[in-house]
Amino acid sequence: MLTSIKTNEFAGSESKKLAMMYFRVAIILFGAQLLMGLIAAIQFLAPNFLFEVFDFSVARMVHINALVVWMLYAMIGSVYYLLPDEAGVETVGIGLGKLAFWVLTAAVAVVVLVYIFIQVGPGKESTIWLINEGREYIEAPRWADIGIVVVVLIFYWNVFATYMKGQKTGILTVLVADLLALAGLYLAGMFFTDNISMDQYWWWWVIHLWVEATWEVFVGALAAYGLVKIINAKREIVEMWLWIEVLMLFGSGILGLGHHYFWIGTPEYWWEIGALFSALEPVPLVAMFVHVLYDWGKEQGIAKAEGKPGSVMKNGPAMAWIVTNAFGNFLGAGIWGFFHTLPQVNIYTHGTQFTAAHGHLAFFGAYATILIGMMYLGVQGAYGIERMKATFKSKMAIFLITFGVIGMTIALTIAGYEQVLVERAELGAGWNAFFVAQDLPWYVQAQIWRTIMGVVTFVGFIYLVWDLLTIGKKEAKAAA
Amino acid sequence: MFEQFTDVVPSFFGYLNQGPLTLTIFLHTVIILPMIWIYFDEKKKLKNGK
Amino acid sequence: MANENEKLSVWTSISFWRRSAAWVTGFAVILLIWLTFNTMGQISMGTDADLKKAAQEHRVVSRVPGPTVINYHIDYKMSKKRGHEVPVIGAKEPFFGKEWSEKEAAALLHLGKLTSQAKNCMNCHTLLGNGAYYAPDLTKAWLDPAWQKGGPMQAMTNTNTTEEAMAKFLQNPSQYPTHARMMPNLGITEEEAKGLVAFLKHMSSIDTNGFPRNFSKTVEQFKTGGTNAH
Ligand code: HEM
Ligand code: HEM
Ligand SMILES: [Fe+2]
Repeated sequence: MLTSIKTNEFAGSESKKLAMMYFRVAIILFGAQLLMGLIAAIQFLAPNFLFEVFDFSVARMVHINALVVWMLYAMIGSVYYLLPDEAGVETVGIGLGKLAFWVLTAAVAVVVLVYIFIQVGPGKESTIWLINEGREYIEAPRWADIGIVVVVLIFYWNVFATYMKGQKTGILTVLVADLLALAGLYLAGMFFTDNISMDQYWWWWVIHLWVEATWEVFVGALAAYGLVKIINAKREIVEMWLWIEVLMLFGSGILGLGHHYFWIGTPEYWWEIGALFSALEPVPLVAMFVHVLYDWGKEQGIAKAEGKPGSVMKNGPAMAWIVTNAFGNFLGAGIWGFFHTLPQVNIYTHGTQFTAAHGHLAFFGAYATILIGMMYLGVQGAYGIERMKATFKSKMAIFLITFGVIGMTIALTIAGYEQVLVERAELGAGWNAFFVAQDLPWYVQAQIWRTIMGVVTFVGFIYLVWDLLTIGKKEAKAAA
Repeated sequence: MFEQFTDVVPSFFGYLNQGPLTLTIFLHTVIILPMIWIYFDEKKKLKNGK
Repeated sequence: MANENEKLSVWTSISFWRRSAAWVTGFAVILLIWLTFNTMGQISMGTDADLKKAAQEHRVVSRVPGPTVINYHIDYKMSKKRGHEVPVIGAKEPFFGKEWSEKEAAALLHLGKLTSQAKNCMNCHTLLGNGAYYAPDLTKAWLDPAWQKGGPMQAMTNTNTTEEAMAKFLQNPSQYPTHARMMPNLGITEEEAKGLVAFLKHMSSIDTNGFPRNFSKTVEQFKTGGTNAH
């Protein structure tokens, strides 16, 4: 993967090379994310670990920011990768795209260094502008926000102009509309208010309308592209599914936003809106799951009937990650989300480890998986090989990472259950109730298991990087 | 039959919120009904068209 | 024949799904914008006059009271009508020994909210239930029995009021530990600490539709002597 830039493959597409640059930063940030998560997890068990040196708040902030940023990098990379294929023309503004890449990467580096070394500032506007904004997931200081907006505008212009110039496939049409909404939503998180209810109201516009609306549609489009590319699925069918997914995802996800407006000072009518719309959110996730497996089975069946032996799959690891995505999205977002989406349940589970369990499985299942799949497609393209099979390392990576994250999720679900029943139901919340629940042996054991499973995840990550660096090399040499 | 909303501040949506799921069922219906029209419109087009 | 039928089915027509997707998305967005306007009206901060009315009627008249709520006693009580606990505005009480004018209260709350972000409170605690799960929820922290008269925090910090106990703790949290998991020293100044306490008191007066539920149980349990503070 690292050498690919020198091999000058991709049939000369600069857009795909740019995509690889984004993928490379993404994978590094993914590693940083996991390390920070491990530090934070250890602090749950040994609170003196790095106390007043590198506190939980810092580790956690970097953990979730690295998460969001690596995913955005991988998303931008994926778009640059598929753009020339879909549009049938090269991306128009590659030079500008490269410049934007370096500006963004420099900004991310500065922001992370400031997070790590300066951490907090005085209670002044300057802190929000220069150090950190203190709002979960979108902590980036205001100067960086503005920089991000500029970079995203450049990216969007590139996509839009290429779309206008080239072929307007259904996949691209969905992407172009979706990316505009995705980018625009970021603006909702860029202001300060003294009113905490107002603050949270708009904060959720960014977080929820990203992960449960615009990002999901993005994933639908990626999966559609992946299926066409990897198993030669029929475009008309894939695109019909895509529109059905858009209908159901936006139809449930936009007003499903209400499930975050139960307790933040907003009116009671949100109970009903949030409950029923978000309860329908799992439906499209089931549909996506069925769609992926169905198409795979169908294409394999057709190949068999035509007497072509072997698998229809052109990229084993990418397909494995896309199938994991279909499962993970349904489990993490659909099932774990539904668990706590009704106000009758959420009043007890709101803000407990239960939420963290859902957050992990959903982000991993719905996004990490398919973005890793796109990286494998990238590697295949970089070496220009017809068929890429999974190696032992690919299998270890997908097994250990998935097993680790599911293990963490189960542990956190148990911890959350304990917390809900003891802290919230039995003791009625509050300072004392919180710490009583945190000290319960079953809760502590769950935290231990979470940490162990975190290490498993990290070992899987090492396999993943190793695999991405080495897979396809032999085939590329053989072909040359 | 119609209750005062239980909420603090009166509002249009507060009035529609009359107990078990009235508000949300109303909104779902308003969203889905026009799809029936789209359905028949498409059917007509398919018949007339190719 | 089969081909003919297939063409006639609307269910497999891309154009049907595309139009439906456009309609549903567009309409959901319009509804959300409308709901947002309605909600904005309800969660804008109330006025000083609202608060006077609330104090007379012993209830909350705006969902998010104005900054001068720091001049009033705040309680969190079961409402039969709504089926959950709601904040109740009571009589006036001094805050850091004085009554704050509208302007002063607004400035203090501003400082507090800003400090809460500058110090990254949300990456250990939850505010209104959102944030991190490493430290207690702060939504109703102001009302928590641990900080009230007779509670461990006033004794530990050698103070006589909730606000003083909180302010002193915030400036030197690791000096007043309640658990092996301590809050780190974040370099919070005396002024910033006062602002933060105002922010917490204000937050406790927001009508959160009964979250956290059963909070009063904590109060009862505390009264019977159950406490975790060592
Ligand atoms: C891929 C899609 C999704 C992702 C990445 C995701 C992620 C998250 C995350 C990270 C949080 C915690 C936010 C915080 O830090 O406060 C959260 C909260 C929540 N999610 Fe999701 N989610 C997804 C889909 C869903 C779905 C489909 C549902 C419902 C069916 C759902 C229901 C909820 C609810 C109710 C909460 C609030 C939890 C609380 O009250 O503490 N999510 N989600
Ligand atoms: C080495 C593996 C990992 C460890 C040890 C770990 C640990 C942690 C810890 C300790 C927290 C703070 C939870 C709290 O506030 O109580 C956290 C939050 C979070 N992590 Fe991880 N994590 C890991 C991997 C991941 C992965 C792979 C993802 C997603 C792809 C992820 C997504 C998140 C999210 C979204 C949150 C915020 C959750 C919320 O606010 O509800 N983490 N993680
Ligand atoms: Fe959500």
